[in-house]
Amino acid sequence: MFEPFFEWCEGLAMSQVYRESLWLFAVTQALHLVAIATFVGAILIVDLRLLGWGLIGQSRAAIARNAQRILFWAGLAVLATGIPQFTANALTYYRSPIFVFKMWLLVAAVVFTATLRRRVAAAEEGRMPSWVPRAVGAASFALWMAVAISGRLITYY
Amino acid sequence: MPSIVPTLEWLEGLAWTTAIRESVWGYPIILTAHVASIVAFAGLIIVMDLRLFGVAFPDVPRTQIQRRLFPWQMAAFVPSTATGLLLCCIDPLRYYGNVIFRVKLVLLALAGLNALVFHLKTYPMAGQWDDDPRLRGTVRLGGGLSLLLWSAIIVSGRLTATNWFN
Repeated sequence: MFEPFFEWCEGLAMSQVYRESLWLFAVTQALHLVAIATFVGAILIVDLRLLGWGLIGQSRAAIARNAQRILFWAGLAVLATGIPQFTANALTYYRSPIFVFKMWLLVAAVVFTATLRRRVAAAEEGRMPSWVPRAVGAASFALWMAVAISGRLITYY
Repeated sequence: MPSIVPTLEWLEGLAWTTAIRESVWGYPIILTAHVASIVAFAGLIIVMDLRLFGVAFPDVPRTQIQRRLFPWQMAAFVPSTATGLLLCCIDPLRYYGNVIFRVKLVLLALAGLNALVFHLKTYPMAGQWDDDPRLRGTVRLGGGLSLLLWSAIIVSGRLTATNWFN
């Protein structure tokens, strides 16, 4: 169903530049990793706080609010370095089960973070049983780490 | 100066390093575990550095970031280092001959030195960080240096997979 889109991606001028360059892809991949580490760092600090660890001197809401800016800019950098990698070999990724798995996992992680996790982090402390933020923090950490790990595994499958 | 190469050859020839090197999934699993723990470890460092530098987490005092997150940073340091050393043991001669990997080792040493100086000189004066403008500059410098070094370490780690400059 999506194949024409993948073909179109692979046919872009930028994709050709990436395929022909000897260093552009590897350098983009390396910067992608720096952006991911920054993004996961901001995720992890909020997740730790939801679990009741780490920066417990501030409220969950304050930590989540402060993390927003890093999540936004690092997320932008992750996309800016991820999309050209994808378009360069879009048809290869189309046939990679791990890539497809990673994309669905990514959608799940983004939706979870933007809805449930955001609400729970912003909620007044003590308004819900203590296991709720803990469960949300653990689920968020597991989801995002799974996204990162499946990204690394695309090379193999 | 005695060469390290015979030692690396001995390491590479051991039964267990050979077994992992030649197995289908051994190397990918250890490498993936390395990357996963690095992402957590470096991620914490980068965010902490952004705070020390003064561009993130304005509601959290600099001293708190260091005191409360340092244990977690160390918790992620252990698996990162363990898997990294394991990778070196499995394929020592390849890494030894890799120019970018050598650059990475130098950067790691510099980052370690920067962290050591921070812990021994800057952190003990945490009580005065906010009052003394010169000290504030030192804290920012430490955070900024660490940020640059760790970004470069991730980049060189990823590029070790290439054989550029060899």
